[in-house]
Amino acid sequence: MNRFDLITPEGTRDALFTECTLRREVEARLRHLFVARGYSEIITPTLEFYDVFNRDARPFPQEKMYKLTDNKGRLLVLRPDNTVPIARVCATRLRDAALPLRLYYNQSIHISSPSLKGRDDEVTQSGIELIGSDSRMADLEVIAAAVDVLASCDTEYRLELGNAAFFRELTDQLTVSKQLKESIRDYVEDKNFPALGDLLDTLPASPITEALRMLPRLFGGEEVFDKAATLCPGERFAATLDSLKSLWQTVTQIAGKERVTVDLSMVHRTDYYTGMILRGYLSGYGEEILSGGRYDKLISEFGYDVPATGFAVNVDALVKVLSKQNAADPAARPVSDVLIWAAAGLEANAIAAAETLRAKGLVTEHSLCETLAEAQAYARAQGIQNVFPITDAETEDNA
Amino acid sequence: MSRPLRIALTKGRLEKDTLGLLESLGYDCEMVRNKGRRLILPIPNGNMEVVLAKAADVITYVEHGVCDLGVVGKDTIMEMQGKFYELLDLGFGRCKFALAVKKGTDFYNGFSVKTIATKYPNVARAFFESKGMDIDVVKIEGSVELAPLLELSDGIVDIVETGTTLKENGLEVYEDVCKISARLIANTVSMKLRQTEIEMLTTNIERYFAEHSHN
Repeated sequence: MNRFDLITPEGTRDALFTECTLRREVEARLRHLFVARGYSEIITPTLEFYDVFNRDARPFPQEKMYKLTDNKGRLLVLRPDNTVPIARVCATRLRDAALPLRLYYNQSIHISSPSLKGRDDEVTQSGIELIGSDSRMADLEVIAAAVDVLASCDTEYRLELGNAAFFRELTDQLTVSKQLKESIRDYVEDKNFPALGDLLDTLPASPITEALRMLPRLFGGEEVFDKAATLCPGERFAATLDSLKSLWQTVTQIAGKERVTVDLSMVHRTDYYTGMILRGYLSGYGEEILSGGRYDKLISEFGYDVPATGFAVNVDALVKVLSKQNAADPAARPVSDVLIWAAAGLEANAIAAAETLRAKGLVTEHSLCETLAEAQAYARAQGIQNVFPITDAETEDNA
Repeated sequence: MSRPLRIALTKGRLEKDTLGLLESLGYDCEMVRNKGRRLILPIPNGNMEVVLAKAADVITYVEHGVCDLGVVGKDTIMEMQGKFYELLDLGFGRCKFALAVKKGTDFYNGFSVKTIATKYPNVARAFFESKGMDIDVVKIEGSVELAPLLELSDGIVDIVETGTTLKENGLEVYEDVCKISARLIANTVSMKLRQTEIEMLTTNIERYFAEHSHN
């Protein structure tokens, strides 16, 4: 029989020492950033009913959720997303709360990844949700917070803006099956040019199919707006383009032109976004560090029709990037400042002396060795600079 | 940002075809051709470097962003899946996935659950799933053609180029699954952070294809 008592499940791991310190620092930095903007913390349970995520519009893929049952046989999942539970809370306990609501969270999500891909199944996310406004200022507030998050980690960050409406407005004008639309969505999201081209070739050529063909190529800087304007597939598309351009211009005033790009083909498969979409990248990490956007219809799926916008930061990814930046061994242990050794019978004095030293801001450690010589050898081995022996009751006063 | 654009090539025929393409675009692949035992090889006049890897590893490297671009067959992409951008059909490495059976067999006849031997279990499963058919999949590492001959399976799903191997073993293509060719893939973040360099390369390739398509 195999026993799995010495290892952690695939996709999970233990975090030690410096890595924990770094993670807590990142979390504290984000928390500070969010609190200073008037956001309040919310903690939702790790376990949720399966039904919360199995929504009609775009259900969360069931094979990606960790599932278990409660004692009544009902299906539970380990939360695979943070925004959906918060939408549930807004539609229930916070239904009568004054709007707008500014909420932040710092908790893990669990996603079952394909095996042997080197991915984490448990990811800590920190993020904000601004609920109750569909204004441009709400989007800008959220984007500005995202800019601060990214800039606090690396000056070479990249913020990318998009809008879920581009894809929707184009495909709304196509009379094809829902299934075919989903295929087009997948190909656009993956920038799968060969497959998208082949699929569109099977449809009657029109300005819409040509626009869809171009859509995944429309990413980059300001020039994208000019290219997109020539596509001209309808007034609503043009209006969305104008609003994204004005949003982009304002954000470049906050962050600088070279930091902000656009991608009109961002569609966020399996997601709930209805308007503005944002993503943040840092060089040295192969996936987005930050992602979010406007989700005006999600909370209404729980029976409370209220617009919302927000983003989540992948804290684990941020820790990985930051620990690459400072070359310290992520598993290094912190060293105490003082080792206190007490002769037999003087333990109470040692504990009192330690208290005094800690009050001065030193990190203390009690020696567990029998003799002073052993304690001194231990201190040398560990790199502890000071040994403080307590050999008679008087010593503690000198501390 | 100073790191050269890193491109992972599938070792073997795709590697040779890709180097041929890069050389006709004017890239100096001399050091890649005389690689010796080195694993990361520079293209000095392109600010690029080449990593040679097995097909499935190309996808893994690109997905994790340790390589910005990759050249890999559609067969591997279909089997592995993953999150990356698929930028170009490079046109070489052409072949197809097909369902092959012993000559003269009527595969879909009867009510029994069919057994399929294959090196590509995900491709086989997806193909029959799209038909709403339950099948048993047996993964074979070596010559898949052997499985129906030994009556381990009712058919095979495999890559077919000329069909000679099938013919010599008394098998025939029963149904095509899909066409395959080499693809240029890109890491999603690299595509955004190194857009200019990557687009320069893809535009060059597309222009080259456009100029030579009449040949």
